[in-house]
Amino acid sequence: MLWLYLHFPYLLLEHFQQSETASRPMALIGGHPPQVIQLNPEAARAGVTEGQSPQTASALADNLHLIAADLEEQTGVLDQQAIWLYRHAARIILYPPDGILAEAGSLRRLHGGLPGLWRKLQDELDQRRLTARLACGLTPRSARILARSRRGRCTEDAQALRQSLDDLPVAAADLDERTTERLQRMGLHTLGPVLALPDRELARRLGPETALHLQQIEGRAVDPQTDWHPPPYFHRRLDFAEDVEHNSGLLFPLQRALQELEAELCWRQQQTDTLQLEIRHRRRPVTPLQIRSTAPEHRADAFIELARLKLERHSLEAPATGLSLKTRRFLDRHTPQGDDLFGETLQHQEEARQHLLSRLQARLGEDALHHLALNADHRPERAWRATPVGDGCLPSTPVMPRRPLWLLRQPQPLREMPCQWLAGPERISAGWWDGERVQRDYYIARLHSGQTGWLFRDGTGGWFLHGWFG
Amino acid sequence: MSDILDKLIDNAQIWQASRQRQALNPGIESTGFPALDAYLPGGGWPRGAMIECLVATPGIGELRLMLPALQRMTQAGQTVFWIDAPHIPYAPALARADVDIRHLVTIRTQTREDQLWTLENCLRSPVTGLAMIWLDSAKRSDIRRIQLAAEAGDSLCILFRHSRYADQQSPAALRLLLNPGEDSGQLCPDILKRRGGWPVSGLQLAIPAITTRPPEPASNVIRGPWPRTH
Repeated sequence: MLWLYLHFPYLLLEHFQQSETASRPMALIGGHPPQVIQLNPEAARAGVTEGQSPQTASALADNLHLIAADLEEQTGVLDQQAIWLYRHAARIILYPPDGILAEAGSLRRLHGGLPGLWRKLQDELDQRRLTARLACGLTPRSARILARSRRGRCTEDAQALRQSLDDLPVAAADLDERTTERLQRMGLHTLGPVLALPDRELARRLGPETALHLQQIEGRAVDPQTDWHPPPYFHRRLDFAEDVEHNSGLLFPLQRALQELEAELCWRQQQTDTLQLEIRHRRRPVTPLQIRSTAPEHRADAFIELARLKLERHSLEAPATGLSLKTRRFLDRHTPQGDDLFGETLQHQEEARQHLLSRLQARLGEDALHHLALNADHRPERAWRATPVGDGCLPSTPVMPRRPLWLLRQPQPLREMPCQWLAGPERISAGWWDGERVQRDYYIARLHSGQTGWLFRDGTGGWFLHGWFG
Repeated sequence: MSDILDKLIDNAQIWQASRQRQALNPGIESTGFPALDAYLPGGGWPRGAMIECLVATPGIGELRLMLPALQRMTQAGQTVFWIDAPHIPYAPALARADVDIRHLVTIRTQTREDQLWTLENCLRSPVTGLAMIWLDSAKRSDIRRIQLAAEAGDSLCILFRHSRYADQQSPAALRLLLNPGEDSGQLCPDILKRRGGWPVSGLQLAIPAITTRPPEPASNVIRGPWPRTH
């Protein structure tokens, strides 16, 4: 079996960098006492190195942006990298906090050989502005230690791989400190001579764990791996290097997240109509926002437009430190129907319609738009329904009595006696079954102003106006 | 006639009153009332222009005037928007009048800014057949904005306003003042403004009557209204 290991040395820093529009020197600070733990090439060019104190680092590069980071967060970031890697490799094993192992042997043919796969991964990494060190190995452990010590090569030749393993310094072999020191004192500085020692001697002198570890590097002992499986939802978390104070500042990072969502949806051959957006603040509860489109959608452009409208309506209550994009609802894509090659078709029309309705909903709110539908009830106020747009309502063709085109929201007391009675009475008596009883005699009459109204007289003898024949 | 005039006429740079009633061009939507079409330039509602209907009170037949357009558009699958209608467009009555109610969308907005934004977006979309907006504003900039939005699209845009704005100047391509007729089957629109024509007043349109004949007082039916007995 051939394994491929990806080691991400600057994962957390690059995670912060993804929400940046321009590159600038940045460094992560962590640990006790605080020191530089990750830095980008711009910072390195200014002379900043790992292990410096924050004071030294800022003195070296005056425009250096320092971020206090918690390395625990890196695990969550690693998950996000596994998602895209999963599209290229079937078996993926996470090595938190900064490594991913992929089984490469079975995929060589798919990607046109190992060099093809290697190149593809490098391209993906460049696109995502990530730094990763890749290494091949015949065992998971050998791939891992080669990647971490920057000795990875794109080869599947057992001889060559063995050679690079033999040349590896003992200190890079992922052994505990005491064992490394003992080996070095024995004069064993590279892994080759260590692996040449008999197992029994190794176990006796260095302990059975070390012997097992070395056997696993060589592949003589089993090394069980726990496979990672993609979650059934999409979750993308973004952290900002600097607090964002205006809504417009959220759009750039959000666009990146939406592009990833688009890639994910394309890969799944699915689409979605609901996005959950969470804006995180410092010492404040998160602001949840929901972006909905009336029809299932997968394009990032469509979502970013809806998000822009939504964000225009919600001013930020506090500076944002990050945001999360979640999608749980995946819908299957339908094959377009009745679509010919020359544009203007029903499908096209329907798409434009959904696009317009989604835009309006995003700005005005979901309850501002309604379709009208009929309801089988004799009571005038219940003979119609306002249905949310996006729901397909059923056409119905009942035979209807004469009704006004305008219905008043509430019946209003009649202020003058009509001058001409046109029709009536029509008695409507219904609703005794649900406690909202209606017993009215309806008339159509013309008022002195020339208006034609729909009037009723209820059981108490009062006269009300309920509609206009507009 | 002089050569210069002939040339101008050939280049269609002069509008001639005698040529007003031409064949329906694609930018015109028939109102469904031949008596009204005859007075409208091109013979119908102009598309891609603002039409202003001034109404003093609801219930005089202002919607019945729109019904033929509503029927035609919804049956063709075009969407009709009702933006901030003063009352509920009553679905049973619309369905009874052969309007395909699946293509009607009612929108309620909270602010003037939202209202105009919504109208602009509706008019810009190719799916919109007709957008009706009820606006209570005297601000010229608002009206001007609606006119620009209407001209940007290719759909019908009808602005309903109160008749107290009749004296105000308006950039609308067509302005109608709707007056109630003698009975419920009649509507008397005054054309306050039209392109390429003088104002016309005193038109009488027969709109679909509410009742076919007045109820005959039958001797065996006691007719209301009744006075309050207790």
